[in-house]
Amino acid sequence: MGNIRNNIRKLRFNRSEMTQQELAEKVGVTRQTVIAIEGDKYSPSLEVAFRIARAFGVPLEEVFQYEAASNGSGRA
Amino acid sequence: MDLSYQEKSILGSLLAVTVVYGLYFAGVLRDMGRPDFDGASFPLGRLVGAVVAIVIIEIVYHIILAVESKPEPRDERDILISGKAYRNAYFALATGAFLVMTGVVLSLRPFLTANLVLLFMVVAELVKFLTQLFYYRRGF
Repeated sequence: MGNIRNNIRKLRFNRSEMTQQELAEKVGVTRQTVIAIEGDKYSPSLEVAFRIARAFGVPLEEVFQYEAASNGSGRA
Repeated sequence: MDLSYQEKSILGSLLAVTVVYGLYFAGVLRDMGRPDFDGASFPLGRLVGAVVAIVIIEIVYHIILAVESKPEPRDERDILISGKAYRNAYFALATGAFLVMTGVVLSLRPFLTANLVLLFMVVAELVKFLTQLFYYRRGF
């Protein structure tokens, strides 16, 4: 989904293999939504993105990364 | 296939609408094939029966679904998918409305006019369900 990548799988693994259901309950979304976000199939709202980062206790940038498109976006 | 609560709910509604209105429109086609068909009256009793059947099937199905799998509250992704589904359903219904209006201008009889309106309402509902299932499966 676009150019947003995430480290949710790795972060879950580092948190004693937190399940997708546990993360979903902490964030307040369904497990299907966690699966879609983790698989880069859905880019969450800013609010949900912050809630995911808070659930892991890390800054937002550690969970999500934006990869600029190669067609020159971001040029002055 | 691992289906979420929302997908199971939509799939049940899709099947209920397909079967019940499939039977309803099969009856409509039978009426139209009768030699004494005048195209003026509308099978209101059959329509009420179909609506009641849909309501009963939906209630029973969702009770069984709630018992068997834990209901999940809708989140932002469900709402976005629902929005896309309603948009597609709107286009289906608008297209149908335009076609029925054209039919009325061409002196379509009341029986056919009313049933065509109903048909496009059912088609719009099916488009909504299928769009939702598509986005849940493909990912959004």
